[in-house]
Amino acid sequence: MSGILVSSKIVGAALVLSLALAACGTGSGGTTSTAPPAAATIEIGSLYEPQNLDNTAGGGQGVTEVFNGNVYEGLFKLTDAGKVENLLAESHKVSPDGLTYTFTLRKGVKFHSGKPLTSADVKYSIEKVTAKDSQSARKSGFKPVKSIETPDDATVVVKLASRSISLVYNLSYVWIINSAAKNLTTTEDGTGPYKLGAWKRGSTLSLDRFDGYWGAKPTNKGVVFHYFTDATALNNALLTNAVDIVTSEQSPDALAQFKDNKDYRVSDGHSTTKLLLAFNDRKAPFDKPLVRKAVTSAIDNAKLLESIWAGYGSLIGSMVPPTDPWYEDLTKVNPYDVNLAKKELAEAGYAKGFAFTLDTPNYDPHPTAAAFIKSELAKVGITVTINVITADEWYSKVYKNRDFAATLQEHVNDRDVVWYGDPDFYWGYDNPQVTKWVAEAEQAETTEVQTELLKKVNRQIAEDAASDWLYLYPQIVVASSDLSGYPINGLNSQFYVYGIKKG
Amino acid sequence: MARYLLRRTAFLLGSLLLAATLLFLLLRLLPGDPANSLLSVGATPEQIAAARHQIGSDRPLPEQFGSWLGGLARFDLGTSFVSTLPVGQEIASRLVVTVPLTLLSFLLAVVVAVPVGFLAAYRADRWYGPLLNGVSQLGIAVPVFWIGMLLVTVFALRLRVLPAGGFPRHEWEDPAAALTSLALPVVTIALVMSASLIRYVRSATVDVLGADYLRTARALGSSFVGAMWRHGLRNAAVPVISILGIELATTFLGAVVVESVFALPGLGGMLVKGIAEHDYPVIQGVLVVSTFAVLVIGFAADLVQRLVDPRLRAHLAGGRP
Amino acid sequence: MKRSPTFLIGCVLVALVCAVAVVSLLWLPYDPSDTSGGRLVPPGGAHWLGTDKLGRDLLSRLMVGARIALTVGFGSVLVGGVLGVTAGLLAGFATRWLDDTISAVLDILIAFPTLLLAMLVVAVRQASLGSAVLAIGLAMSAIVARLTRVLVKRVLAQDYITASRTSGTSWPRVVTEHVLPNIWPTLLVNLALQLGLAVLAEASLSYLGLGPPPPNASWGRLLQEAQATVLTAPTGAIAPGVLLVVLVVGVNLVADGFRDLADPTRRRSR
Repeated sequence: MSGILVSSKIVGAALVLSLALAACGTGSGGTTSTAPPAAATIEIGSLYEPQNLDNTAGGGQGVTEVFNGNVYEGLFKLTDAGKVENLLAESHKVSPDGLTYTFTLRKGVKFHSGKPLTSADVKYSIEKVTAKDSQSARKSGFKPVKSIETPDDATVVVKLASRSISLVYNLSYVWIINSAAKNLTTTEDGTGPYKLGAWKRGSTLSLDRFDGYWGAKPTNKGVVFHYFTDATALNNALLTNAVDIVTSEQSPDALAQFKDNKDYRVSDGHSTTKLLLAFNDRKAPFDKPLVRKAVTSAIDNAKLLESIWAGYGSLIGSMVPPTDPWYEDLTKVNPYDVNLAKKELAEAGYAKGFAFTLDTPNYDPHPTAAAFIKSELAKVGITVTINVITADEWYSKVYKNRDFAATLQEHVNDRDVVWYGDPDFYWGYDNPQVTKWVAEAEQAETTEVQTELLKKVNRQIAEDAASDWLYLYPQIVVASSDLSGYPINGLNSQFYVYGIKKG
Repeated sequence: MARYLLRRTAFLLGSLLLAATLLFLLLRLLPGDPANSLLSVGATPEQIAAARHQIGSDRPLPEQFGSWLGGLARFDLGTSFVSTLPVGQEIASRLVVTVPLTLLSFLLAVVVAVPVGFLAAYRADRWYGPLLNGVSQLGIAVPVFWIGMLLVTVFALRLRVLPAGGFPRHEWEDPAAALTSLALPVVTIALVMSASLIRYVRSATVDVLGADYLRTARALGSSFVGAMWRHGLRNAAVPVISILGIELATTFLGAVVVESVFALPGLGGMLVKGIAEHDYPVIQGVLVVSTFAVLVIGFAADLVQRLVDPRLRAHLAGGRP
Repeated sequence: MKRSPTFLIGCVLVALVCAVAVVSLLWLPYDPSDTSGGRLVPPGGAHWLGTDKLGRDLLSRLMVGARIALTVGFGSVLVGGVLGVTAGLLAGFATRWLDDTISAVLDILIAFPTLLLAMLVVAVRQASLGSAVLAIGLAMSAIVARLTRVLVKRVLAQDYITASRTSGTSWPRVVTEHVLPNIWPTLLVNLALQLGLAVLAEASLSYLGLGPPPPNASWGRLLQEAQATVLTAPTGAIAPGVLLVVLVVGVNLVADGFRDLADPTRRRSR
C-alpha cells in the first residue's frame, strides 16, 4: 500500500483522473489547486434516479451512481479500472492467520456536518450494512465478520470467523456515515468531495463542492444529475445541450446521431452486466450438461448481440467479465455450431428435440432475445414457448419458487461468478467441486491463489454450460467533446464526478 | 341562488366522499395485497409484515377505510413505499408543473378554438369553412403523444429553437426559462384540445345562427353584430361552458401523457413511475388528487353555466321568494 | 335513402384497416419478431417500409398492430357496451332511490377518466392485452350507462309507453318492444365514437409502457420505440401514427354518418 507515502493531494488527483485523462495530463494535477474560481457546473443526464438516499434501505442503483465516492466514501475505493485503493483507510494490516484486520484511518477527515471522522463511525457504518433490516446488496459478503472493535479513534479492528480475501474489496462498497446522522433517506452526512445540494424528485439532484474536503478539490463547481425515465428524452437533452454527459446509454439506437458528430464523444467502456439464458439445472431436460451445451451451441450469440447492440458489447462465454481479475476468454468452449448441437442432443437422447417454456421478463432486451432464441432453437428441433412475465412474477415464480424450465435475466454485478458455488441459488447448479473451489477461493491467503481457483470455477461452469451467457453489455458514455475527466467504465454503476472538467 | 349553491356544494362533497370510497374499494378489492408488491425489491417476510402494518392492510377493512378517510380529511395521503417520503408533499411539488401546464394549454385551446369554430360555422359556405372542419376532424383522431413527438423532432431536434424536454431546476424563479420549457408541451395539448373544442363551438354557433330569436332581432333592425352580442353569444356559450369544464378536466389528463413525452416532473410522471414501482400510496394519492380536481372543475363549470344561461337566470330570479 | 359521403369515406377507411388485420392472419411479409432484416434498413426493396432498430420488418409489425388495435377497440366496446347498457337500463327502470345512487356513482366514474382508470387497472393487474381491454371497457361503461339512462328515461316518459306500462305489459317486453328499438341508433353512434377513443387510449397506454407487453407490436409501442430513431429512420415514427389517425378518423366519420341517418333533422341543420 504505497499510498501512505504519497501526499494526500496527489493520491486524490490520481484517483480523480480517468485513464484517458491520466494519459495526457503531465502532473499538473498535483501542484496547484486544479479548480479555477469560475469552474463550471456539470450537467449530467441519467436514467437512474435514486429511490431514496440510503443504500441500505433500497436506494437502488441510482444512489450508488450519484453518491458513491462523490458524497460518501468508503475505507477503500474501487477505481474505474477495477483496482482497490486506500481511501479513508490510510493503511491496513492483516494478522498471519488472516482472521484479524486492523485499519488505520486517515487523519483530518471531516463529515459535511463538521464532525471529525472516528473509528466509531466506521463501526456504525459496517454494522448498518450487516443489520437485520439492511437491504444492502453487499450484506452477504460480511457473513464472516465476528466482531468490530475500536481501540482508539483512529483504529478499527475487524475479527473474522473464517478467512475472507474479499473483505477489503467488499469494504469499498460500505459508505462511511456519521453515526449521529438522521433521516438518511432524504439527507446525507458523508466525507466526500461533494455535499448534497437539493433533490427535486422526478427531476434533478444537485451536488455542491464541499469546502472542508480532506483531499484534492473537485475540478468543477458542482454537478447536477438530471433524471429521465425515457432514453429518448435523455438523448434529446444531450442533443439540445441541456445536459453535458449521459452516464450510461441503454440502447445503441441514438448513437448514430453522436458518433459522427465532432461535438460529441462516445466512449465504449467495460460493463459488468451479463445477459443470461439461465437453465433450471435441477430439472430434466436441463439437468443434463450435454443438453445445456447443445442449446448453447445452437444459439448464435454474435448475431444476437449484433441485432441488439449493433456492434457494441462483447461475448465472454462465461459469467466473468474482463474487469474481474479471473477473466478468461471462454467463447470457444461451447462454440456456435448447429451440427455440434444436433450431435449433442442425439447423444443426450433428444435426437428429435424437445419443448420447453422460457420465462421472459417483459422489459427489453428480454422479449427480443427470447424471440431470437426461439427461432434459433427451432432449427435444431427444440420448441420454445415464450412466457412473458413481470419483474414481480419473475421474483416469485423463478427466483423464490424455482418454478421454471429456463429464463432470461440480466446479472449486473461484478465478481458474481461465486453464485455458481451456491447450490441453493435459483438456477440450481450443483457441482460439489465448484462449491468447494468457491469456498476455498474466499479463504485463500493470496489473491493469486484466489484468482487461480476462481479461474478453475469459471472453466468448469463453462464446460458444464451451467447457464448460457449470451453476451456482456457495453457501457457507453456519451459526452459533449469539451468535457473531460469522466469515468468510462461506470463499474457497478459508480460514477465519480470530481474529475470532470468543462472546456 | 343560495339554495342552489348549497345543494350543489352538498352534491360536490358527496361526490368527493363517493370518489374516495370507490378508489379505496377498487384498490383493496382487486386481488392481491398491496404489500406483496414489495416482493419485487426482494423483501423478506418481516419486511412485508412491516409494510402491511405501515399501510394498514393487516387491519379489518372498515378500520382501514376509516383511517383512509381520516387521513384525507387532514390532507394526509400517507408515505411512499419506495421513497419513504410523504406523498402529499411530493404531489404538491409536482403541481408546480402540472397546474400551469394545464391552465396554459387550456387558455391557448380556447383562444384558438372559439374564433375558428365560429368561422367554421359562420362561413360554412366559403372554402375555409369545410377546411377548418376537416382539420378539426383530423385533430380529434391524432394521439396527443404523437403530436408531441413530431413537435419535438421539428422544433427541438431540427430547428433547435425550443428545449426538447425537462423543467428548469429552479422552477419558476426564472419565469422565462420555465415558460420556454413549457412551450412545446402547451402547444401539443392545445392542438388536440382545440380540435374537439372547435367542433363544439361550431355546432353551438350553427344552432344559434338558425335560431328564431336571432332572425327576429335582425328583422327588427338590429345589426348582425349587435344581435349576436345581445342574444347569440350568451345562448351559444351555455353548451360550450359545460363542455369547457369537461375539456379542462381532459386537459389535465392529457398532461399525464404529454409529461412523459417531454420528461416534465409533473403529476403524470409521478403516476407512471408509481405504477411501475407498485408504489400503492403514490398511485392512490395521485388518483385521489386528480379525481378531486376533475370533480371540482365540474362544479365550477356548473356554477358558471348557471350564471350565464339566460333561461336559468330568469328561472332563478323568478323563483326567489 | 342517399348515403352521406362522409359515411362512405369512413367505411372505406375502417374497412382498409380491417382488411390489413385480416390479411395479417393469413399472410405477413416476414415473421414480425424475425430480427434478420438488418438494423434500420430504409424503406424499399425487400422491406417496403424498412426495418426497425432490431431488424424487424416494419410492415409486418404494423399489420399485426392493426389486429391489436381492432381487438382492443371492439373488445372494449363490447365490455363497455354490455356493462353500460345493462347499468343504464337498470337505472332507467329503477326506483328513484336506486336511480339516484347509480347516477351518482356514474358521475364519479365519469370524473375518473378513461386513461386514469385504465392505469389503475393495469397497476393492480398487470400490463396485458386483457388488462387494456378490461380497463378501457370499464371506463367506457360509465359513459355508455349514463347515456342509456337518459335515453331510457326519455322513451319511458312518452305517453303511449306509460299507457302500455299501466295496462300491465311486463317490463322485459317494454324493453324489447319499445325501449331498445328507440334508443339503439343513438347508442350505436355513441359506441362508434367510443371505439375511436378506445383505440387512442390503448395507444397512449402502450406508449407509456402500460399496454400489451412486447413482443406485441401495438401501434403505440411502435411509436414509442421509433422515437429514439426519429432523426435517422423517420418512417417508423410516422407510419404507425398515420394508421392510428386513419382508423380513428374512419370510425368517427362512420359515427357521424350513422347520426345523420338516424336523425334526419340534424342532417338538415348542417
